[in-house]
Amino acid sequence: MENTSYLSIQDILVTNEKVPCKFLHDLPKMGFLDPSATEEDLKAGTHLDIPLWLAESLYSRRPPLISVELPKIYKESYREILGADACTVDMHKLGKYFYEMGCYVAKHDIKGEVSATLMNTFRQRFRMLLSASVSNDSISSMQPLSESERVQAAAAATTERALAMWLQRGESPLTAANMVANHRKRKRAEMEML
Amino acid sequence: MDPCEIEFIGENRIISIIPNFTYDKIYLICGEFGPFRAGLPLNVPLWLAMMLKQKQKCRIVPPDWMDIDVLENIKEEEKRSRFFTKMPNEHYMVEAKLILGAAAEDVPNSSEIKTIIKDIWDIRMSKLRTSMDALMKSGGGYGRLDHLTMMEINSVKPLLPAAMDNLLRIQMKTKKTAPTSSLNTSSFSQSGTSQHT
Repeated sequence: MENTSYLSIQDILVTNEKVPCKFLHDLPKMGFLDPSATEEDLKAGTHLDIPLWLAESLYSRRPPLISVELPKIYKESYREILGADACTVDMHKLGKYFYEMGCYVAKHDIKGEVSATLMNTFRQRFRMLLSASVSNDSISSMQPLSESERVQAAAAATTERALAMWLQRGESPLTAANMVANHRKRKRAEMEML
Repeated sequence: MDPCEIEFIGENRIISIIPNFTYDKIYLICGEFGPFRAGLPLNVPLWLAMMLKQKQKCRIVPPDWMDIDVLENIKEEEKRSRFFTKMPNEHYMVEAKLILGAAAEDVPNSSEIKTIIKDIWDIRMSKLRTSMDALMKSGGGYGRLDHLTMMEINSVKPLLPAAMDNLLRIQMKTKKTAPTSSLNTSSFSQSGTSQHT
């Protein structure tokens, strides 16, 4: 897909998540995809969970070989829960890569409501990021966040800590910049001293 | 940015001191200061003032705004207003922290002033948090940062821009795949008008 970096580990992990699909044609010799199948060929009409990267390429063939269905977190019933109060949902359990995955599967949603759900969810859950960044009990406040939210909350918490440190201490002790501290010569000098 | 780096930038503000020694003009990268005459006030950068103060070579003239009445007014206005009010100084927090830290005896009522400035800071920070949340709830397209000081802007820095980025990315990605076979320009105009979805 455009707009995603090919070598991003994050993106590779996202596209490795499975999505439910329905095969529209008989596929010869592809029976191994379905662990419960006994024949060599994959029959049309089979329902299977396959990784997103495979689904994307099978779907983009002309004519498409499969039709992609929405994973359950993006379905009507969950959309209603997210619409009511997105903050109560434990994203880490239900959809580790909720937003990234949502961007991929949004085009398979006929009604086109996934896009709005994604944005609303993000807006509502922003408050959780805010409180997670200042919370003392970081483990329980980070728990329900999705992967990307955790990264953001952790970054925000770092700034918050730096600011609190600055406000607290009278004088700021001088420390070497990261770049200088990691410099090879500096490291060698330290090694020789030991 | 680290708060210490902002402190460094803030230390370039000019403040007034009364030296207790006499010396010629000194030439610095940021300009020339002096000549120093014992007992006569002159303007120097904050960092130089701090250094001289720590060596007991000067007295610091507190800035005009470092006064209980002025600060009380600011605090009241800050409490009343829904928006951020203009601060007397772009680096008020840095200046207050340094001056009250190193030269508290030069400022009349320093402990009260310290408390008021901390109150103002707390009011503004909590306002910043609520307005950030409100901004995201209302759409998160853009926000105005009028009268925010550098230290305050820095405190929301990785979180707010990243969140707005993410929101835009979700919007672009999910809109682009909508069945439009036209050029890219249409997706731009779409994302512009669909703020209220």
